[in-house]
Amino acid sequence: MVSKSEEEQLNRLESQVENGGGGAWEYLCLIRKLKIRRSDNVLKYGLTILNDPKKRSSIGNDEWTLYEQVAIAALDCHSYDVAKDCIKVLRKKFPESKRIARLEAMLLEAKGLWEEADKAYSSLLEDNPLDQATHKRRVAMAKAEGDILKAVEWLNKYLEIFMADHEAWRELAEIYVSLQMYKQAAFCYEELILSQPTVPLYHLSYADVLYTLGGLENLQTAKKYYASTIDLTGGKNTRALYGTCLCASAIAQLTKGGRNREDKENQDLHSLAVTALEKDYKKRAPSKLPLLTSTLRSLKLSS
Amino acid sequence: MAEDLVLDTAIRDWVLIPLSVVMVLIGVLRYFVSKLMRSYQTPDPKIVKEGQVILRARNLKSAANFIPPKSFRARRIYLCNEENGLLHVPKGQAQNAQAQMFSDPNMAMDMMKKNLSMIIPQTLTFAWVNFFFSGFVAAKIPFPLTQRFRSMLQNGIDLSTVDVSYVSSRSWYFLNLFGLRGLFSLILGEENAMDDTQRMMQMGGFGMDPTRSLGAEKDNLDIIQHDWVLSKFEQRAEATLRKLVKQ
Repeated sequence: MVSKSEEEQLNRLESQVENGGGGAWEYLCLIRKLKIRRSDNVLKYGLTILNDPKKRSSIGNDEWTLYEQVAIAALDCHSYDVAKDCIKVLRKKFPESKRIARLEAMLLEAKGLWEEADKAYSSLLEDNPLDQATHKRRVAMAKAEGDILKAVEWLNKYLEIFMADHEAWRELAEIYVSLQMYKQAAFCYEELILSQPTVPLYHLSYADVLYTLGGLENLQTAKKYYASTIDLTGGKNTRALYGTCLCASAIAQLTKGGRNREDKENQDLHSLAVTALEKDYKKRAPSKLPLLTSTLRSLKLSS
Repeated sequence: MAEDLVLDTAIRDWVLIPLSVVMVLIGVLRYFVSKLMRSYQTPDPKIVKEGQVILRARNLKSAANFIPPKSFRARRIYLCNEENGLLHVPKGQAQNAQAQMFSDPNMAMDMMKKNLSMIIPQTLTFAWVNFFFSGFVAAKIPFPLTQRFRSMLQNGIDLSTVDVSYVSSRSWYFLNLFGLRGLFSLILGEENAMDDTQRMMQMGGFGMDPTRSLGAEKDNLDIIQHDWVLSKFEQRAEATLRKLVKQ
């Protein structure tokens, strides 16, 4: 996660560099530290440093880090020749390095030579089965190939060892949603909620998945998670408000007439959500208010 | 009495400053030597996995109330069951860390290297300081201290009448030994500085049994009472919305 002050610092440096005020190296360092994807800028400013022997020698040993950074950025920008040159320089300096071997595999991957890249990654993993970055590259490659099932397989294999890596869980959850395997996706989102219980985004996605799964129990749970999202975001999340309304309407349809105890306790929630939605629309998009009212009426929630 | 003691400036020039400089140089040298001797050792997949399992179990423990009861129970069974739960350690398999250490020569080698880079220079410098500079006062700190500091600041001088604010040369060595961390982090970069106190602590923590922590996590999970907080969240959400609507 990038904090606000860091982002400000980055933007300030960026405008400074763009206007020729220097500080390119600091800018690149910050990008690397924050792991931000600004490949075009990295390529542009990184190359100006690398092509100038004086500037290059002034950064000392970090030169090689910069070569790596620029190589990856070049791959991202489809300038394979630049990437190739960078990798060549690195290879000359570190003939035995595994890290460079991964870069070479990435070059193959970027060119679309899937099989060769796959072979390269596999041999790398054979040497060091705990190389997280290579594992992830392989997943990304399978995804880029369009072979989603293979990506799922690799990802599962990865998570078997690195089961506390919540970013991988998130990736898997999103893949499962795209494959419409909602039960599996729900499991992944549970895992995400466990690792970061106060991130409203995960509550919201979990609720979405549960709502999509359907069934009374899931709907009730989904409503609860929409409620927690509302609470965690202070009622600012429109999707959660809509979700509450949808869940309430679906539950009402399923339990026609026979309302159980729990519903009676919480029946205020969706009417409050409706009011909040209406207020929000009045404030921010008054022209769409009729649309909202008609939608809500079709859900039989608005009075 | 305290005023009578005047320290020769030669002491400053030939003891105090050289001692500090030598300590710094030795620290830097040792850093590079240990960097040379450091061997990259591939971590054991089993140990990595155990660490991850423990992390996940801890997450489950701390955030258990945020997931539905059914999901929680499924996870607990997955982690804790007696047949193939990840946290369950079969009795005979819990191998002794000590035994494991001896079975792996690399590990012993590593420890020896660490020891070498730590103990040898330390002994040498201590002997050097003892031989050349023992038994006299090297510096005076500018504020008074209580008698309790005598053993810390006047190591090597057995005079009870000297004011405590005088520092003996051997004590100056010790102060340098333990107090140069900040300087090293400036010279060698933030994460490279590792002072001896930390090293000693690491030595103490060596040989911890990973299987024991697995068992402890399992016990912790077993006794958790699951109490789903999401029902409370509905009321809280209502309160939030009420406030929002009223504004």
